[in-house]
Amino acid sequence: MKEYKLLSARFGRSDGHKLAVYEQEGGYQALRKVLGGMDAAAVRETVKASGLRGRGGAGFPTGVKWGFVPQGAEKVYFFVNADESEPGTFKDRFLLDYDPHQTLEGTIISCFAVQAHLAFIYIRGEFGWLIDRVQAAVDEAYRAGYLGKDILGSGFDLDVIVHKGAGAYICGEETGLINSVEGRKGQPNIKPPFPAVAGYLGQPTIVNNVESVASVPWIINNGPEAYKAIGTEKSPGTKLFSVSGPVRNPGVYEVPLGIPFREFFQDYLGGMADGEELKAVIVGGSSVPVLPAAEIMNVNLDYESLQQAGTMLGSGGMIVIPESCDMVELIQVLMHFYYDESCGQCTPCREGTGWLHKLVKKLRGGEGTAADLELLEHVCGGMAGLTICPLADAAVMPMRSFLGKFRPEFEALIQETATTGPRTRWPRGEQE
Amino acid sequence: MAKLTIDDQEYEFPDGTSLFDACREARGEDLPHFCYHPDLPVAGVCRLCQVEVEGMPKLTIACNTTVRDGMVVHTRSEKVRKAVQQILEMHLINHPVDCPICDQAGECGLQNQYMQYGLYESKVEIKAKVKKHKAKVIGPYVILDQERCVLCSRCVRFCNEVTKTGELGIFNRGDRAEVDVAPGVELDNNYSMNTVDLCPVGALTSRDFRFAKRVWMLKSAQGVCPGCATGCNVRIDHEGGRVYRLKPRYNPEVNGRWMCDRGRMTYKQVHDERRLLAPLWNGKEVSWAEIQEHLARVLDGGTPGLVLVSPHASLEEMFLAGKLVSGGAIVSGPADQHREQGDDLLLDADRTPNRKGLAVLDIPELSAEDLARRIGAAEGPVLVLGGDPGRDETVGGALQGCDTVVFLGTHDGPTAHGAQFVLPLAMWAEKAGTFVNRQGRWQGFQQAVARPGSVREGWRVMGEILSLVADSAVPRSLGALRSELVAAVLSEGELDMDRMPEFGFIPGGGER
Repeated sequence: MKEYKLLSARFGRSDGHKLAVYEQEGGYQALRKVLGGMDAAAVRETVKASGLRGRGGAGFPTGVKWGFVPQGAEKVYFFVNADESEPGTFKDRFLLDYDPHQTLEGTIISCFAVQAHLAFIYIRGEFGWLIDRVQAAVDEAYRAGYLGKDILGSGFDLDVIVHKGAGAYICGEETGLINSVEGRKGQPNIKPPFPAVAGYLGQPTIVNNVESVASVPWIINNGPEAYKAIGTEKSPGTKLFSVSGPVRNPGVYEVPLGIPFREFFQDYLGGMADGEELKAVIVGGSSVPVLPAAEIMNVNLDYESLQQAGTMLGSGGMIVIPESCDMVELIQVLMHFYYDESCGQCTPCREGTGWLHKLVKKLRGGEGTAADLELLEHVCGGMAGLTICPLADAAVMPMRSFLGKFRPEFEALIQETATTGPRTRWPRGEQE
Repeated sequence: MAKLTIDDQEYEFPDGTSLFDACREARGEDLPHFCYHPDLPVAGVCRLCQVEVEGMPKLTIACNTTVRDGMVVHTRSEKVRKAVQQILEMHLINHPVDCPICDQAGECGLQNQYMQYGLYESKVEIKAKVKKHKAKVIGPYVILDQERCVLCSRCVRFCNEVTKTGELGIFNRGDRAEVDVAPGVELDNNYSMNTVDLCPVGALTSRDFRFAKRVWMLKSAQGVCPGCATGCNVRIDHEGGRVYRLKPRYNPEVNGRWMCDRGRMTYKQVHDERRLLAPLWNGKEVSWAEIQEHLARVLDGGTPGLVLVSPHASLEEMFLAGKLVSGGAIVSGPADQHREQGDDLLLDADRTPNRKGLAVLDIPELSAEDLARRIGAAEGPVLVLGGDPGRDETVGGALQGCDTVVFLGTHDGPTAHGAQFVLPLAMWAEKAGTFVNRQGRWQGFQQAVARPGSVREGWRVMGEILSLVADSAVPRSLGALRSELVAAVLSEGELDMDRMPEFGFIPGGGER
């Protein structure tokens, strides 16, 4: 089991967040290299050539996204998306907590690549301590001359604002995020136009996930070929997986893309904790379809293999589900989440997330019938692919897959509660 | 130009045309929709105008798509139909379906579209529906029912983009989202009732029209708002001799699709208790025959000493007034009457509908002082056509001093009080006529309701007076009168007033 430390070199250490430590371990060398002689186009080309794909969930190639900024745009803005709210995902939190300078260096290089002179790091409001940590790193970087006017004597100016979100899942969607920073209600915009053309204040704007940005310094230092040598052909590089659930060693892991799940599960996670048996895995955060144990065991962890298996890599928020878990209870938790977080703008999502939640609650309340399972399918059909942003799909994918893969549990629940009454264990915040 | 295929037919549209508009033209009817509105920015939230574009993986909303060369679009495929049905169902699951007590019933987007795209079988129990505020007064003219709202955001966009007053917002998230005013704020701008028109369902309804009439009983006539010199085109909705409401009628050259609240309320004058309903001779109710006899005796074959025409009179009435006396004996005023504060949207400072009509006929407007002097100097009776010039103290005083005042008017007031002859005239909703708006645009209006009491049309009454004093023939009909008017002030064949162009007519065709 080969260790990869492209992103996670300072994870778990108490001093990794300090500028001195970061510099001592080679930090800001990539920035010096970029500002010392590369032009913006060369940086964009390098990242494009590396094949780095957006780590927020959609997997869109980062370098290609940068290329969408219109040539000669006067004002370009850059946003680091640290609104990490996908249930099961906590990798960006690790990146910013243990190693904020790495993301900051990536931010400065990315800004240079798209010629942005103002960047926002948008951190979800619940991450209170992280905001202080990132702000401290930004302050250090200003003092050291990595931010501000004429960075390292290159003539390149950049200001970074650490922005605290108010705690809305939907603000992780890039146009929702931009609206939120503009002081509007955090809800997505219709596209086109895409932010790369008209985003913050109507100007070209690039929004990149923390992990994508944090990957940039390594790519600059080591070259795109070295990055492509890791992972698979279409999914190069390493990926952080944040693993929760009753495995022996939960936590955040950096692994090359394409690693077989079986290997990851056994070698990294140490298998299930004592007394637990693997039932299913949600690989990429709560919004992707669940895979039962038998199906996940033979899948490799990369964009293509997971898609082939009927799910998605997503954010890498891996939720390991034990045999003892009541799948209907779990889907109730998830449906409550999407119902709670839908911005309410598009009708299919606004009404559909509420309807799904009510129906699942009805099942658990002992009033469900077989017809309700058909109705759940029907509601999903009225949501999927019909809205401005993917939140409706994010609710539909787990709902459909839970119904599809674990239907007997739903049916058993209906039968059982018909005689014994409602399930008494209600998720937090859902007590009647 | 973009060549595209919509439902297997080829069409050509200019580049940049909205696919929504293209589909409307191709289909001969709108795509299903709530949030799209041609005069508001695209919101794309109701999700109903889904179409299938070949080569695109998912259905797409037409309102946020522009036509592209070679596009192949399907609006009636099974896939589209199914999606629209399901989305429409989503709009209804938390709707109270209280149509029997809803003013919008009969002109409701939910009802109408459900006829075509319904799934009919109800899947949600009443008790499981989301509860929100009902019957919340949010302004002087508008009342809100949040449960009926489909959150299309048209009203919010109107207040943000058109009036720029921003009273409305959508608060909260998910299925708890609701349209509302912020605490302490009222929807109180002069265009607030446009939100009622914009609302595709019964969420925003007019406090004035509320519970007054089921809409399917209403008949409509094409009118022109008499409230100011803008001359917004209106639809007069009426039934059984009563006007129930005015709605804006589309005229891109004048008012677009809007009109102001003030203008909407002008219909109240029609049913005002101060309406003059019978001829009065020295304050005594008499018949038309009697008053004509008295009038003939007073005029004794001569003409009035002065004719005072109101800018509220129709162009046809003004024209006849001009025929009654020779030039110089016909005036209008006081010139500063009916002038208030205007705005830069639609409301004009000039609160009369036909002041430009005076100019067309070269009828001078005099100040109150000059007018009083002319009244004082008049030899013979003073004939007042329309308005209530006596409301001005100076003019009122002068009229008091006259031996004989003949008032052809609509409402009781100082002028009627001081007049020996009161001849009750029809108001704008009770007659056909023409107003010339501030642009110089001739706009015709139709009669909506029957005339109350023994009220008569101005042109007929004027015509009869004309027959008492001159040899000229009484116009046989309004049409004949109009031909005469056109012959007098326009070039020959320039306009057929009985077939007024849809958006009105500016003589010479120029923009004024």
